[in-house]
Amino acid sequence: MSENRDSGPAIGRRNLLKAGLAAGATIAVANAGLLGGAGSAAAAEEEIPSLKGKRIAISATGTDHHFDLTAYNAQIDEVKKLGGEPIAVDAQRNDTKLVSQLQTLIAQRPDALVQLLGTLTVVDPWLKRAKDAKIPVFTIDVGTPNSLNNTTSDNWRIGSDLALQLVSDIGGAGNIVVFNGFYGVVPCAIRYDQLKAVIKYYPDVKIIEPELRDVIPNTVQDAFSQITAILNKYPEKGSIKAIWSAWDIPQLGATQALVAAGRTEISTYGVDGSPEVLQLVRDPNSPAAGNAAQQPEEIGRTAIRNVARYLAGQKLPRETYVPALIANKKNIEEVTKTLRLG
Amino acid sequence: MSADIDTLPGYTSGNGTGHIVRWLAGFALRGGSLLAFAALLVFFSVAAPFFFTLGNIGNVLGQSAILGVLAIGLTIVIIGGGANVVKGGIDLSLAANLGLSAAVYATLVSAGYGDGVAIAGALLTGSLIGLVNAIAIVVFGIVPLLATLAVMNVVAGLELVLTQNTVVSASSDFLSLLSAYGPFDIPVLAYVLVIFTGIAAAIIQFTPLGLRLYAVGAFPEAARAAGLPVKRMVAGSYVASGFCGGVAGILSVSYLSGSTTGAGEMLLPVVVTALLSVVFSRRLVPTIGGTLLSTLLVGFLTNGFQLLNISSTLVSGIQGILILLVVAATSLQRGKGAA
Repeated sequence: MSENRDSGPAIGRRNLLKAGLAAGATIAVANAGLLGGAGSAAAAEEEIPSLKGKRIAISATGTDHHFDLTAYNAQIDEVKKLGGEPIAVDAQRNDTKLVSQLQTLIAQRPDALVQLLGTLTVVDPWLKRAKDAKIPVFTIDVGTPNSLNNTTSDNWRIGSDLALQLVSDIGGAGNIVVFNGFYGVVPCAIRYDQLKAVIKYYPDVKIIEPELRDVIPNTVQDAFSQITAILNKYPEKGSIKAIWSAWDIPQLGATQALVAAGRTEISTYGVDGSPEVLQLVRDPNSPAAGNAAQQPEEIGRTAIRNVARYLAGQKLPRETYVPALIANKKNIEEVTKTLRLG
Repeated sequence: MSADIDTLPGYTSGNGTGHIVRWLAGFALRGGSLLAFAALLVFFSVAAPFFFTLGNIGNVLGQSAILGVLAIGLTIVIIGGGANVVKGGIDLSLAANLGLSAAVYATLVSAGYGDGVAIAGALLTGSLIGLVNAIAIVVFGIVPLLATLAVMNVVAGLELVLTQNTVVSASSDFLSLLSAYGPFDIPVLAYVLVIFTGIAAAIIQFTPLGLRLYAVGAFPEAARAAGLPVKRMVAGSYVASGFCGGVAGILSVSYLSGSTTGAGEMLLPVVVTALLSVVFSRRLVPTIGGTLLSTLLVGFLTNGFQLLNISSTLVSGIQGILILLVVAATSLQRGKGAA
């Protein structure tokens, strides 16, 4: 946040971000809204070094989700824009395929490798191999010592702000249902840990055990049936106050299940800012109450600009945080405008 | 059974054009498939110079190890049960078997057990699944397609119970050894695939046991009349296939540094690979060597597409077209339509 304020005159996109900041200040939860870190996304007016003649490997875990697809395409576009040649592969959420592709990418000896998401224990040994093969490794949403720079939303802030929004919405007391199927994916783990850290100080907020496991694929259908089952187990209104998930495709299924069961008194919370979920947040009658909207396009672009900066000899921070916005029923219009989804 | 008998070309008595069409289809399949494979390799080598390097070929071999071992298991079942896709031998539980065996291995290692226990656990799990298949098919007489489909669901459910649908990471000395690079900077998994194929081929193609397995699959009545233990041979083929699932599970744990979800997605590639194997044999029957070639064909296609920066989603489309061609040509060659 500090960098956004301190650095030079803002133009275009940054004005929009500032609008988001203003909107953020008005919402119920303190500090929510524009999130920035020490190494916040750099200003657009800075000269980005060229990637001419450079082959940049882009490895995506999957592109079946708004966040992945947007970040993936933004990376490819940015490499082309900077004059480089993208070698982009998409593992379609198949870990065996992901590892094979990484192995082949490493053997192709690109000038840099950018890994987008992935289960840490699966991708990390291969990122280490790339590093050992002297290929500069960059990551998006994968925190590992084997990467030179990780471009990500500040997941600590996302996690705590979303948790605070949830706790404040339910009045600091009640049972919540939690999807925790992807604790092996670092950003999901951070968001979950932050939720736990927040509710530690609200002893009347209880996570219903056992926690639910969200799955890929068929995430929406699966979340729908899991929530329908748990609603049958807790038929009394008020016995469940909220449903939390570390991303927003389970939130989509959960929200649909609540509507189908007529239990719209329960609120749902998720992360990523998928357009279909933001649409639900906009609907005043929908149980979708909060969503931490990331900026996948900006994240993808920033990661590639970091590659260009590194290859031009500039120093990079360990992490580059791209602001995220907590969308709720009150500020949804401003958030969608800021994300250019409106 | 007549369809099975017809799989051996030259034994069928055709007349006139039907005979010629069948002969042509068979010739085109046998010669054409090898030619097409060679042409593919040449094309990729020219289009992507990096393709034809020892390192890349080694990588493709290593990347094909899991699929190859599973497909060899399925090939054994198809040999022993007959190649009729509906009534013959098939093991749909193989991919789920891989998932559960891998989960057992990873869970044992992360619970502090040594590699020996984990290897035994995975191989036992795989073989047990094979045994359940064998009992369902041989003792209860359920059609393999349905029996193994049911077992597939049970096994996938067990994997969910064991892992809670999460990633179980595992690291051990044996796993590091498997996922490392061996002589000539070629992945150890590549050597594993070659050695495993060699052993399987030796047993299936060059021993009396293997010959009997072919006899049981192609001419069960004759095999029974000749005094071969048909039921025991068929049951054995499913246990062998289950064992392959266990081996593939171990390889998968080393490749992915643990057990992950989504093993079921392997099913279709495994079936495709085993079915494709017939085009790489002289008499258009499933063979272990043919299975290795079809595994590598799929592996090289995927690899070549990645090197050429072409979307890998096209590979599944090409696989589908290949299957259609093979099935069409084998049907023609069996003379179904012409006779």
